[in-house]
Amino acid sequence: MKTLLSILALSCAAAPGATIFMGAYPDSVIVFDEGKGQVVEKIPLVTGLPTSMRLSLDRKTIYVTTNDHSGLEVIDVATRKVTNHFVLNTPTKRYRFNGGVPDPQGKLFYTVTTEMNKLNDRYEIGKLKYTVIDMAQQKVVKTADIAKEDENANAGYYGRAAFEISPDGKYLYQFRDKVVILTADDFKVVDRLDLARPDFADMENVGFGGLLDSIGEPGKHISLFNAADPVVHNRMFGIARFDLSTRHVDFTPIGPSPAGMAGLQVAPDKKNAYTVITTGNLGTKRCEFWAFDLGRNSVTSTMEVPCRSRFSFGMAGDGKKLYIYGAGYEIEVYDAATLKYERTWDLNNDVTGAGMIVLPTAGP
Amino acid sequence: MKHLRPLNQKASRIAGQIAQPNGDDVVALQNPAPQPPKPHIPMGCSLSFSPGWEVDSAGGTAGLCQPVERDIYDCYVTCFWPAQVPDHLNNYPDWASKCAAATKDWRNLDLVFP
Repeated sequence: MKTLLSILALSCAAAPGATIFMGAYPDSVIVFDEGKGQVVEKIPLVTGLPTSMRLSLDRKTIYVTTNDHSGLEVIDVATRKVTNHFVLNTPTKRYRFNGGVPDPQGKLFYTVTTEMNKLNDRYEIGKLKYTVIDMAQQKVVKTADIAKEDENANAGYYGRAAFEISPDGKYLYQFRDKVVILTADDFKVVDRLDLARPDFADMENVGFGGLLDSIGEPGKHISLFNAADPVVHNRMFGIARFDLSTRHVDFTPIGPSPAGMAGLQVAPDKKNAYTVITTGNLGTKRCEFWAFDLGRNSVTSTMEVPCRSRFSFGMAGDGKKLYIYGAGYEIEVYDAATLKYERTWDLNNDVTGAGMIVLPTAGP
Repeated sequence: MKHLRPLNQKASRIAGQIAQPNGDDVVALQNPAPQPPKPHIPMGCSLSFSPGWEVDSAGGTAGLCQPVERDIYDCYVTCFWPAQVPDHLNNYPDWASKCAAATKDWRNLDLVFP
């Protein structure tokens, strides 16, 4: 019996958790082991501070954008090594960009950039443009103008609407107040679906990678959507499923919209999902976990949670823990079943707004 | 009320307001809630010089991270908070290179004398 208990204890201790990748100040990506509850590695970045991370469709590589010199770095998930890195800036030309999406083959990276040219007597600030970066040539190979009605949605820095790409790599999608569908070849707008809008008000973790990583279902965009009825324009929220291949939208209203909602984290069982909602502002701000049953499209439980002024929301690889992290150096861990606080992990390093990528442990 | 008539300019304005039909008497549900006026805070970290070192978007401190050192790095990444931090992108790229966690190690941040 004693032996059996020992074996059980050993197997529990060795139970592998997922591996979490997080952008960290001033120039690294932290590798955090959920099972051990500690940082196991820091991947140094050559090009500077990570502002966004994007997982490839095959979940084998992570694309990191950095802001010091407008850089891109590619991390191999298995070896945790940087396999490609370069900067777009030159002595007379600078770019500003944040986030984007690689094509399924990993050859191109689609994003939105602002180009700044240093002339003899002045700086020339260009317009926002859709941009294609060739990962092998390590430079911008194509730009395209943005339609006037789409300029505002692509302006700003963290507020830019994120790209998704269809599994065949032919179409790009932007989810905002509309679903804008563009051809990946020349950024021509194919369609605008004017019914849905992911709402991430007052949240730091807007529009890049980490929001969708927990879904683990390539080709589908599952999100909390806001909509308004056409008569009194009362705002309501619901769960929407967008098929990137067929462009079919399945929208299920749930109830009146709260003031702010974090991204939807869907558990691996595809049955449960979680978000954090906020009400109030600044000193009167309150936060609650909301748990959803995706089978019935309903809220199953809520729990008030002490929220930080700015934070991001994540979930463990097995869907059993919920994370609140950033700004700062800690991850607060909550139990997904009870929505109660469990512990705080100290990363000993401030994390950036690049989000969190959670993957099954498969490292060296 | 016909026996009352305004004698000065202010009273005339009040009387005029009362006499006007109230266009907002029926308020549709789609009308947004009135927003309180917000302070004007110039965009960009280095453009604003406020006493103290930062304020939130409403001009107060209730919306800041606690402790405030949690916010300090985002001042140069997003320029959302108008604090005076060194210009990381152009002139002082290494000012924070010895300080991974600002809350714990802020003493290691470089002093910058432009």
